[in-house]
Amino acid sequence: MNAAIEITNLKYRYHDGTEALRGVSFRVAPGECVALLGPNGSGKSTLLLHLNGILPEKLPADGAVKILGEPVAPKNLEPIRRQVGLVFQDPDDQLFCPTVQEDVAFGPQQLGLGDAEVAARVQKALAQVGLADFGRRATHHLSHGEKRRVCLAGVLACEPAILILDEPTSNLDPRGRREFKALLRQIPATKLIATHDLELVVELCSRAIVLDRGSVVADGPMFELLNDEKLMLEHGLERPHILRHQHPH
Amino acid sequence: MPCRRPALQFQTERLVTVHWINHHHGRLDSPVHRLPAAPKLGVALVIIVATVLAPVQWRAWFIGVAGLLVLAMLLSRLPLFFVFRRLLVLSPFVLGVVLVNTFQPAGRDKWLAVAVKSVLCLLTVILVSNTTPFSQILRVLKSIRVPALLITTIALMHRYLFVLMDEAERMRRARASRTFMRGRRFHWRALATVVGQLFIRASERAERIYDAMCARGWK
Amino acid sequence: MHIPDGFIDGKTAAVTAVISAVGVGFALRQVRRELPPRRVPLLGLAAAFLFAAQMVNFPVAGGTSGHLVGGTLVAALLGPSAAVVVVTTVLIVQCFLFQDGGVLALGANVFNMAILNSVVGYMIYRMVCHWLTGIRGRVTAIAFAAWCATVLAAISCAGQLAWSGTIPWSVAFPAMATVHMFIGVGEGLISALVFLAVYRARPDLITETAQTGQPQRLGELVRYGLLATLGVAIFVAPFACSWPDGLDSVAVKFGFGHKMAPLLPAPAPDYQVPGIHWAIGATAVAGAAGSLIVFMLALLMGRWLVPKPKDL
Repeated sequence: MNAAIEITNLKYRYHDGTEALRGVSFRVAPGECVALLGPNGSGKSTLLLHLNGILPEKLPADGAVKILGEPVAPKNLEPIRRQVGLVFQDPDDQLFCPTVQEDVAFGPQQLGLGDAEVAARVQKALAQVGLADFGRRATHHLSHGEKRRVCLAGVLACEPAILILDEPTSNLDPRGRREFKALLRQIPATKLIATHDLELVVELCSRAIVLDRGSVVADGPMFELLNDEKLMLEHGLERPHILRHQHPH
Repeated sequence: MPCRRPALQFQTERLVTVHWINHHHGRLDSPVHRLPAAPKLGVALVIIVATVLAPVQWRAWFIGVAGLLVLAMLLSRLPLFFVFRRLLVLSPFVLGVVLVNTFQPAGRDKWLAVAVKSVLCLLTVILVSNTTPFSQILRVLKSIRVPALLITTIALMHRYLFVLMDEAERMRRARASRTFMRGRRFHWRALATVVGQLFIRASERAERIYDAMCARGWK
Repeated sequence: MHIPDGFIDGKTAAVTAVISAVGVGFALRQVRRELPPRRVPLLGLAAAFLFAAQMVNFPVAGGTSGHLVGGTLVAALLGPSAAVVVVTTVLIVQCFLFQDGGVLALGANVFNMAILNSVVGYMIYRMVCHWLTGIRGRVTAIAFAAWCATVLAAISCAGQLAWSGTIPWSVAFPAMATVHMFIGVGEGLISALVFLAVYRARPDLITETAQTGQPQRLGELVRYGLLATLGVAIFVAPFACSWPDGLDSVAVKFGFGHKMAPLLPAPAPDYQVPGIHWAIGATAVAGAAGSLIVFMLALLMGRWLVPKPKDL
């Protein structure tokens, strides 16, 4: 069976010449929930932008990224973006429509669905994130947590097979974090989550990949990696407290 | 081609609570709020056009419109103080016209006409814009065939207005906290850097918005 | 400079609305043609920027912040047509959201601040850039261009008020022009400083099309120029020269004088404020002298802000 995400030796340089990604390779199987860890500046966000063809700016026909077996190439962009739902780091970047309803409907509308189907998907997605009667609210009036949930709804409305999240719980208060984690748990799609929230990783992810300065330095079962204190500290992370009080047996 | 560094930080609290910006009265509810947008805007436009074109002698018209507007204002539950403060914006203009025309032979009629017309028109716009969600106003504009590019630009401006104002305020406060020199010259250059930064951040955000639109399938 | 409703009459509102609609329509077409798709959200964000930037409170005279337009700045950064669209957007949102400027007066406000200000500002900017090269030249150019554009927009505004009969030309012109000669200094200074800050930090953000002198640009500018000239001819020229007398006599000769009367702007007023008739002449002289002084100041500012490059 095809891997959901397959990256082979991905390289990328910023415009000013600095190397952002130096030969990144890994695979994500369908249904897996994988955490992407790494210190600030390690290239996590840049990597995620490669997964639906936003980067590199000039997409080559034979790139290093394959989604569901198909290479991310200019001719495949439309079906790939249908299958890959990317939730951006700053909800204000993603929520560009005036009302919640319009924003969540944006994706389905771009898919070419009819009005009735779009409305149904919007309702379903908003219900999934617990914001069922938020349709008419103005986006700039929402709280941070609400914005994050609307962003998730907007992506879920497209019913993608793969969900990619960039720092989904940052700047959320503890309740917001708990609610968001509960939401994510219920979504069956393949998930790749770039995050600093190690508790989230422990609760949701079965596997972790550590990225540092553009290279993959570790890739394995979450429990093993996160318990490796030396590895964590070496790459700007730490062993999460939640694991200190747990024993694998 | 610009550097594609993604945003690493952003703030969550709304900082801008300057009262004159607050048009959140769109959140109140009243019979006026519930009226559909298109007829409301249509009626408002008719009132404004007629008031501007009406000759001074048609006193009945002005009195009638004033009565209607006062009634609508009371029904709309908009805070009177808020409405009054917005009307005050006219005062320098009206004062100017009064001064100029005091010496003219038909002066009193003229400045009275200008004052009355401008107050009535402004009151109409205050009422309509504070009882109608902006997205509905945009929808009406779209239905009268305003070009899509302009509508998108207006929608984006409205959406990111408060975001940018918050950023501007934050930068201003941060800069003020580190400003020890009193000189005007430093003040200007520091403010210019802040404003320049604001433009750069706005541009970078615009690019991220474009990416977010593409990510959800926009062509 | 946002004219409220009631200050311009029906005919002025109608004429300005038509001219502005043509101008903005043309600008939209140009923008669609030349702006790459990834820059489209930038129009909306630039509009939000112009508005938010005013919050940073530049103290103009005595602690009050001036109400600045920013058309020339945006034109230098994004191109003239983009600037027209951006400033029009700002004016529309200011009108409907903040009730700043009238609804019927939108045509006049858009003509003055979005079209005249941005386009003439851009033209002057490019002309001066052509003459004074390098970043120093650009700083000088944008400062001077922003000043000129502000004053010109004010004069056009005065013309519209006079054409409507609200305020006679002999008062409106000196008042608006002189006040905006001072406000324009602030606008010029701020435009130059902000442009320089952006240029230093992220020169790649300044749209290439705004800088290079492409041949298509000429056609675009000619069209805007015609529109601007038309507007100025309608609103300013009748007062600036003795047109109405000429037109009047023509109208009387052909027997339709009485019909034309309400359409023609009133000739020099015959009312009793002493000494006001010399104000027009004085303002014109002040304007000419002012432009020279401002240009010198802009040159000095360029020198002060941009140290002479050693190796370039």
